[in-house]
Amino acid sequence: MTLKTRLASWLPPLLPLILSLGAAEFAVRMAWVPSYLIPAPSEVLQSLLDDRSELTMAAWATLSSALAGLLLSFVTGTFFAITLSSSDLARRAFYPYAVFFQTVPIISIAPLLVIWFGFGQPTVIASAAIVSVFPIIASTLLGLKSTEPSLLDLFTLYTASRRQTLWMLKIPFALPQIFSGLRIASGLAVVGAIVGEFIGGGGLGSVVDAARTQQRIDRVFAAVLISSLLGVVLVGAVNFISALSLGSWHSSERKS
Amino acid sequence: MNVVLLLISLMFLSHTAQAGEATKLSAVKFALNWKAEPEFGGFYAAKLAGSFEKRGLNVEIVEGGAGTPVVQMVANSKVPFGIAAADEVVLSQVRGTDVVALFAVYQTNPQGIMVHPERGFKSIGDVFAAPGTLAIQSGAPYTLFLQAKFANAKVKLVPYAGGIAQFLTDANYSQQCFVTAEPLLAKKKNKPAASFLIADAGFNPYGTVVVARRQYIDKNPKQVRDLIEAIHNGWSDYLRAPESANAWMVKLNPAMDSETVKESAEVQKPFIRPANLTDKELGKMSKERWATLVDQLFALKLIKKKPAVDKLYENF
Repeated sequence: MTLKTRLASWLPPLLPLILSLGAAEFAVRMAWVPSYLIPAPSEVLQSLLDDRSELTMAAWATLSSALAGLLLSFVTGTFFAITLSSSDLARRAFYPYAVFFQTVPIISIAPLLVIWFGFGQPTVIASAAIVSVFPIIASTLLGLKSTEPSLLDLFTLYTASRRQTLWMLKIPFALPQIFSGLRIASGLAVVGAIVGEFIGGGGLGSVVDAARTQQRIDRVFAAVLISSLLGVVLVGAVNFISALSLGSWHSSERKS
Repeated sequence: MNVVLLLISLMFLSHTAQAGEATKLSAVKFALNWKAEPEFGGFYAAKLAGSFEKRGLNVEIVEGGAGTPVVQMVANSKVPFGIAAADEVVLSQVRGTDVVALFAVYQTNPQGIMVHPERGFKSIGDVFAAPGTLAIQSGAPYTLFLQAKFANAKVKLVPYAGGIAQFLTDANYSQQCFVTAEPLLAKKKNKPAASFLIADAGFNPYGTVVVARRQYIDKNPKQVRDLIEAIHNGWSDYLRAPESANAWMVKLNPAMDSETVKESAEVQKPFIRPANLTDKELGKMSKERWATLVDQLFALKLIKKKPAVDKLYENF
């Protein structure tokens, strides 16, 4: 890539960022907006620098919990979706309950998670898994149900077993949907982990909680910034794996 | 002749219009940081006795919930008056606001640590030195004070989510409390609790402080004076005879039963009016106490510069 094309790919997302940060800084400097309502970006940056060791440790804790939660919801969600896709009866019986996970207000059940799992990481992981499991179930199910009928006929023609059909046809065909579910789930897992940390302790959730108590809105923003970075990292990782596994054959990942 | 009549009637009209203006109460909101309970008894007593209305004020007491950012709401002029802790006022001013303390309900801060008596603790130091769990608001000034004072703690600090559910089920669980509230609730659930004051450990900011913006006070000096006078009388009444205000608060906040409310109102009396305090001195604050608080917050590195102590509060 030449410098010019590189610039062309970086500039569009960078420009709005620079403009909005500049506007925020200017508004606070001119005292149009008091800094206890919205911190100047420079204050947030200062806070990022001052508390970097604490924030880094907190970010690691949150990332590892979010990853563990995501893994848990991926395994259980995929298993659940495969089970549901295998029988209409099962789907009608259980799918409505999967929707429960979509609508559960995590902040209101988080205190219960502490009573079930105790303080610390188990609660945080459970919280991350609960909020991230539904998109995985829904997308995987959609993927498994939308195999091309002609290919299914072909497999039937060759008297393939159910297991062969599942592993060699349905799952590979569902991969794009599975990955799009994972993308949504990975952002949600970070949110779930932070909510879990409000109640269970540790990580960026704790940092936000303490900073709020001390009216340190700059630190709140610094922690929020890092948590969204974690989301970006997770989504990026999913994109990477998706490109690796689909790039060679599926139109959604093929370079145009 | 007609012109004179017209003039007279006009004068009369404008006169009645003015009279109407004078009897109209000015509406002000007063934001609490929790539901109706004895901690706010004097405010409800003032409202019940018509003390605000007598002074031309229609005060609406707005209940809060967990995490209602009252100081920030006052600083941002969403409500003219609110409730905060003294340390919140200092932090808020250092962050650039002009929020000022006007009346302190608790001379001794009732913030404490409550524990299971079977564990045999004699002080907060014992709680920190023993294994177990302590639920406490992370980052709060009193938390940082205790962490600094009792370094090398064996106890595990965990977030405090409110309530006493965890305390009732876990024998190794200690938690923050208002010694005038949660221990009474625990006793009611047949789990008697022992409690220790954080004030006794050396951190004693004024508690349940009425706050307003300096800008607002300077613009409405009479209204502020009247409001604080009514609040003062409300508390004076409430300490003498809390029954009617208690009955009203139980109705507003059914989570509290009348027996606990009655008991809590009794237990908190010495916190509001210590033996050496006269009725007139109710709610008054001293420069030394504010200066101590500022020094402590500075030592805890919660503030990087010390605000002018005189600007933090005003006694009316």
